[in-house]
Amino acid sequence: MAYAFPEEVLEHVFSFLTSDKDRNAVSLVCKSWYEIERWCRKRIFVGNCYAVSPKIMIRRFPEVRSVELKGKPHFADFNLVPEGWGAYVYPWILAMSRSYPWLEEIKLKRMVITDESLELISKSFKNFKVLVLSSCDGFTTDGLAAIAANCRNLRKLDLGESEVEDLSGHWLSHFPDNCTSLVSLNIACLASEVSLLALERLVTRSPNLRTLRINRAVPLERLPNLLRRTSQLVEFGTGVFSADVRSDFFSNLTEAFSSCKQLKCLSGFWDVVPAYLPALYPVCSRLTSLNLSYATCQNPELGKLISQCHNLQRLWVLDFIEDTGLEELAANCKDLQELRVFPSDPFAAEPDTTLTEQGLVAVSDGCPKLQSVLYFCRQMTNAALVTIARNRPNMIRFRLCIIEPRTPDYLTLGSFDAGFGAIVENCKELRRLSLSGLLTDRVFEYIGAHAKKLEMLSIAFAGDSDLGLHHVLSGCDSLRKLEIRDCPFGDKALLANAAKLETMRSLWMSSCSVSFEACKMLAQKMPRLNVEVIDERGPPDTRPESCPVEKLYIYRTVAGRRFDTPGYVWTMDEDTAVRLT
Amino acid sequence: MAIVKPEMKSYIWLKTADGSIQEVEEEVAMFCPVICRELLQNGKGSSKNCAISLPERVNPASLELILEFCRFHQVPGRSNKERKKHDEKFVRLDTKTLCDLASAADSLQLRPVVDLTSRALARVIEGKTPEEIRETFHLPDDLTEEEKLEPLRNMTDDPRIRLLNRLYARKRKELYDRKKLKNVDAEEEPLVDERSVDDLLSFINSGDQDSKGARVTKNKKKSRGRKEQARNLSSNNEAGNYNKESNCHTSGCLNGDTNDGSSPSRNSKLQNSPSAMFSSKLDLDDFDIDDELDPARKEEIDREVEDFARRLDSVWPERIQQILSLGQETRRLRPISMNGNGSMERCTAGVDRG
Repeated sequence: MAYAFPEEVLEHVFSFLTSDKDRNAVSLVCKSWYEIERWCRKRIFVGNCYAVSPKIMIRRFPEVRSVELKGKPHFADFNLVPEGWGAYVYPWILAMSRSYPWLEEIKLKRMVITDESLELISKSFKNFKVLVLSSCDGFTTDGLAAIAANCRNLRKLDLGESEVEDLSGHWLSHFPDNCTSLVSLNIACLASEVSLLALERLVTRSPNLRTLRINRAVPLERLPNLLRRTSQLVEFGTGVFSADVRSDFFSNLTEAFSSCKQLKCLSGFWDVVPAYLPALYPVCSRLTSLNLSYATCQNPELGKLISQCHNLQRLWVLDFIEDTGLEELAANCKDLQELRVFPSDPFAAEPDTTLTEQGLVAVSDGCPKLQSVLYFCRQMTNAALVTIARNRPNMIRFRLCIIEPRTPDYLTLGSFDAGFGAIVENCKELRRLSLSGLLTDRVFEYIGAHAKKLEMLSIAFAGDSDLGLHHVLSGCDSLRKLEIRDCPFGDKALLANAAKLETMRSLWMSSCSVSFEACKMLAQKMPRLNVEVIDERGPPDTRPESCPVEKLYIYRTVAGRRFDTPGYVWTMDEDTAVRLT
Repeated sequence: MAIVKPEMKSYIWLKTADGSIQEVEEEVAMFCPVICRELLQNGKGSSKNCAISLPERVNPASLELILEFCRFHQVPGRSNKERKKHDEKFVRLDTKTLCDLASAADSLQLRPVVDLTSRALARVIEGKTPEEIRETFHLPDDLTEEEKLEPLRNMTDDPRIRLLNRLYARKRKELYDRKKLKNVDAEEEPLVDERSVDDLLSFINSGDQDSKGARVTKNKKKSRGRKEQARNLSSNNEAGNYNKESNCHTSGCLNGDTNDGSSPSRNSKLQNSPSAMFSSKLDLDDFDIDDELDPARKEEIDREVEDFARRLDSVWPERIQQILSLGQETRRLRPISMNGNGSMERCTAGVDRG
């Protein structure tokens, strides 16, 4: 006998379920729950914009207020996805403009959005509040002007790391004088100058502003004035952090920062002049997040700054921090959860800094809450990896990037199979892993055997044979995204594990050994997958069937094949087989 | 009008749907808006005879809990901390009781209890799979496999899609027939796999043949479920073998051995596995989309498909143009942007900042 519920109560229960996973589970329980859930779903996350169509989404969820879409595969960040591949958001915006008049939030990642789309957004949704564009492109500051001018209740405008065609800085002046609702503004990615006066006026009339990230073009001299107008900031991103060193300006700056009593998060810091770093000392102890990945300052100033941030939880920094700086970090920042160390000069033959595996080991030893790591370095040992694994079984994201492909353990001159094996064996909650260095099929054996909660795996220049890929596809139960480049993986493992692909969001393989024929076969076998062959050499059928394709992107979908592919993308399907024979 | 007892407290009478009547302190019961209204507006509850009839969804057990809640909270002077602590303990109930309580509180419009129980029920649901949720709440598994997957092809409101699917099915059959005729060509294809393209295709297409006449699967995905079981079995076997080896290798590796000698044998194992996978009955049911229809209807659909195909061929180029112009955005030439660490993106090892 079912535990009966009135609908309103059930809806109320659902309102406390915030994760998409829970809401999806609830919708699959039974017919009545499915119906109730779909009518009260307010937030949708679509991890791959081609996995479902706007029509299907709208038909099923009529009351949505917030939509998040992701487009291009992650490797697009490395220019591996050629221009024009797709991920156009316009069809979504068009459909939503007709069916979701009360839409409040749009969040996009790696999608192409034009000024036309931005204009349509600004005019179609009367209560529009939040626009987040992470790593998007295709639009200009004219589109931003439309958003500024027409969205009366705009709360958040976040341009992330998007590529914006900067036609003029005057778009900022399009915010009407009566617009006072802004809570978060991030324009750090804009190259050209914005009207400083307009910015200052906007900031002054936004009493709820808590996040402000300005762009590089805003001179340091304007900062004190800006900060004084918005001393309630929680997150602040500076512009360029250099100016002629003057003591009166220095004290002005220090005072301005001190007055921001709620400041927790800092970023920006282009072209840092070390002499001005002490201006931040008064706020260091409050900081939980510090992004110095554009700050080209070195030790000892860098280390000194960081070691004062005793409450730091997240640090993004360049390799100028060196092992010594990381040791200081380990000693002083016991709350650290996330560390990202980027290379200051990835293409240098001879490294300029002394950042080695020792730094990472020190942090793993000293910071008990460390769970998320992205580390670029030039040398590593299995011993270090084993130590890190034993120190931090609570690791959730571990992305190691030994810059030169196939670099061996510099002590044993062997592969890193054992090191990464230790990572996956000890860190049972690991959800994301990126491999690098010299690796054989064996590391994939370990991964397949142990990484049961792994959701995303990035592989480059690794493995010996199809066995490697087979281990991963057959062993990693929770795998959702797999991206591979320059590995000797071919047809067998892929075809043998074809059914696995439907349980994943996507698979990317470039410069591997998957033949055109296998792609066709896969598409025939698995009709609910889109198998896209990306090949800029011309149509695949002008080469032998056994010839490996350049790039392959496979994803599950209920929307069928897409029709917006450029000339160098072929979607394998039954028709391809017919057309090409 | 309520009876005044010596202790200066007044009591009112409540009746639950099962007929049982009980006396409750007025100040406690008044906490419930519905009871409040009945008492003040309709003048009920003053005696056993005119007891307030509570809504059906309020069973005696829930009423008791609700009254206990009201009794606690109507006492003034309690701190927020106290109240919160009480509430946390209050909702530590089994799921059935929680459901009944939520239901009862809702019908009595007692908002705080509705909130409490709803949150507690949400916590019960969190992290569970649909099956687990079904078990917990004793709910029927009445969604069809199609509904669970929400595939395009089963949209009953779009007959064109149904026709398209049929069209694809027939074209695939044509391909198979054509390949069958061109036997010589098939054998020449350089497959690493032992099986020829024919064999593979025959497995793919085996569902299309009427030899499976007896199989009338309304839920096509059920066959997929069986297939998946078979696949798991065979893959578990594989995994089992590999695990054994990998255990050896782990210890071997940590002792500094490199076991290159064994790779050839492992490779040959893999060579057999695709066949093993295929032989686990990968009957794709794309071809059986109409097996719940009677032959007359099937013929009708066949004719529609022919017609549709003809129309489709004639308008397809136009349609494509339409869709393309909708889907494509105007792309402008962008200058190569050099964000502070734009060079990062060319990093060879494939790991980024974002």
